[in-house]
Amino acid sequence: MSTTSLLVIAILILATLGYFLASKRAISTAGGDRRKLHSLPVYYGSNAAMFTAIPALGVLLIWLLAQPMLVERNILSTIPDKLIPEGSSIGLVMSDVRRVADGLEVVVNTGTLSQNETLKLDTEQTDIRALLAGVGAAVGSDVQPEVLEAAQNYRAQTKMGQLWMVLIIVPLALIGFALSVLAAKPTFRARNTVERGILALLVLAASLAILTTIGIVFSMLFESINFFKLHPWTDFFFGGSWAPNFRGDSDLSILPLLWGTIYISIIALIVAVPVGLFAAIYLSEYASPRVRAFAKPLLEILAGIPTIVYGLFALLTVGPALVRVFGRGEEGLLGLEWMSGATAVLTAGLVMGIMLIPFVSSLSDDIINAVPQSLRDGSLGLGATPSETIRQVVLPAALPGIVGAVLLAASRAIGETMIVVLGAGAIAKFSANPLEAMTTITTRIVSQLTGDTDFASPETLVAFALGLTLFVLTLGLNVIALYIVRKYREQYD
Amino acid sequence: MNDKNIMESHMGTTAIKISARDVQVYYGDNHAIKDVSIDIEDKTVTAFIGPSGCGKSTFLRCLNRMNDTIDICKVTGSIRIDDEDIYDRRVDPVQLRAKVGMVFQKPNPFPKSIYDNVAYGPRIHGLAQNKADLDEIVERALRRGAIWNEVKDRLQSPGTGLSGGQQQRLCIARAVATEPEVLLMDEPCSALDPIATAQVEELIDELRQSFSVVIVTHSMQQAARVSQKTAFFHLGNMVEYGETGQIFTTPQDPRTESYITGRIG
Repeated sequence: MSTTSLLVIAILILATLGYFLASKRAISTAGGDRRKLHSLPVYYGSNAAMFTAIPALGVLLIWLLAQPMLVERNILSTIPDKLIPEGSSIGLVMSDVRRVADGLEVVVNTGTLSQNETLKLDTEQTDIRALLAGVGAAVGSDVQPEVLEAAQNYRAQTKMGQLWMVLIIVPLALIGFALSVLAAKPTFRARNTVERGILALLVLAASLAILTTIGIVFSMLFESINFFKLHPWTDFFFGGSWAPNFRGDSDLSILPLLWGTIYISIIALIVAVPVGLFAAIYLSEYASPRVRAFAKPLLEILAGIPTIVYGLFALLTVGPALVRVFGRGEEGLLGLEWMSGATAVLTAGLVMGIMLIPFVSSLSDDIINAVPQSLRDGSLGLGATPSETIRQVVLPAALPGIVGAVLLAASRAIGETMIVVLGAGAIAKFSANPLEAMTTITTRIVSQLTGDTDFASPETLVAFALGLTLFVLTLGLNVIALYIVRKYREQYD
Repeated sequence: MNDKNIMESHMGTTAIKISARDVQVYYGDNHAIKDVSIDIEDKTVTAFIGPSGCGKSTFLRCLNRMNDTIDICKVTGSIRIDDEDIYDRRVDPVQLRAKVGMVFQKPNPFPKSIYDNVAYGPRIHGLAQNKADLDEIVERALRRGAIWNEVKDRLQSPGTGLSGGQQQRLCIARAVATEPEVLLMDEPCSALDPIATAQVEELIDELRQSFSVVIVTHSMQQAARVSQKTAFFHLGNMVEYGETGQIFTTPQDPRTESYITGRIG
């Protein structure tokens, strides 16, 4: 069993011990009378467990993350340049070092050799590759003496680090244990401390989401900056053509992709907004509770279908059906030659619209339901029909919310990937013809990053610039949508 | 109680506007209104009083078939307005509600301008030939709602921006604008402060010149102040109905007496 897991188990046992000792001590210092305690004994126990475990485990976590990085940096500086073969990188050598070091640990653990014997190993006398292969650790080539030396250094430093880790964390847990058990007296406000601990947990959870977002933005930002160092930004933002060429010298302009994205999204919204809105009006204003209880979940099932399935639907059903109507010349339904392949803007737009229907209808339904009944009563009481009431009172009152819902749907349409990968085609161009294949930002990100990629070429890095632009675009739409929705909410609450 | 009211009610017309016979209302299994029969006079303010849950609002909502909007509600018996059965199949509830206006407990102006709020009914029912006509209808309704002077300079600002009392008078003006024959008011002052209440009560007294007004109220003082006739409801029954002065001074039924003296309710 590794040092780390032993350490964790020890800390947890100590924390459990602290729990019982502290609650016992709290009761005994109160002379056995629970009413004299500030908090229930459970809180004294939890407080002790918390102070024993959390600082120790926290430091342990940070240590585990930081130690390999520090050790690796030390080792890296000792590896001589001549060790790096032609066409390889220092990273590959370092991973060899790691593999040898880990393999030797396994050798010791399985008892093939003792600790001292491994330290005395020599590439001249032992076939280390065969030795390691014997315990299941594969090394690509014969182990060179420098690599072995680095690996031995690696092992030594890791061992040293682990020793220090134990020396720091065990006393830390013990101090927490001792202090919190000693503190378990009737006057100590254990309840408040524990509740502050819970609050910290909640704050941590909330900040994790925000920090992740910031992390995503920064990682995209750095790669985008790298891209703009290799490729002129004027071409990216204002160029007219998208023609990536992995031999270099590519045209990488976002505009044709942006056009495809927006065109497909608009078609999707033209499908989704009326259908979704009408469905929402029916469900919220006309449907009997029975129909509603049945139809609403059914509509929302559409939202649960993975988008790749929609993509297949576009590719296999909608696309060919459209070709039958608008293409095939004499054999087609209309005898037209307008559409040649199943992948087209219209195909992707229609299917994406279908995907967005439940999204629009569900949000609009909530918003329409939020319009107070008193407004409907007022209108009906004046002799308006239900339809007049909806058109003239309910919808105007719900309009800001509905606009918000549509904007949220738009930002989903812009970010949608699988449907357009399968349904829209891969040709980047400016064209107003919805029956032609076009491509979007998301599909190009996918295609630039699949296959053999070299993260130093602008053809690959452009994906991050595209992603960042997309992120900014959808973020902007979401912010506007949420602002509108919230403004509307304030009107009635 | 109030001599002026008694005198006036004797002088007023006695034409029957609404005549209800053996009205029963069920909410699912709950028998909410039991055997209510009442004759409501034209150009009179009739108050419905009684403890919470006694059915007075339910009965009021029967008079313009607002209960139709509640799925589980069933109404039997006959309610005739001007001798026409309003629950007859041939009667369109939408038409009926144009004739029997309603003002609700909470002011509910539409999220539109003040002008559009008042013009809403006339527009739906095609009461105005042209813009000038509509302007006139709106102005007349706002004057009758006793709010014209306060809003005449800002007819295009939103109705929701007015104060609570102003909103309720706007709603009354809105109801009046469709030229109804009967005006139903469901606790119109319960969300208002005393000053706004006084304004609305004054307004109700003026409206009596043109309409038959039926008002549901929790406040017995209000019933005594504004109405000529009062009906007392208790547990779904109409216990007693008569001249307001008589109900408050010499009630016939012990339950009425207990309620107005504060022993039940």
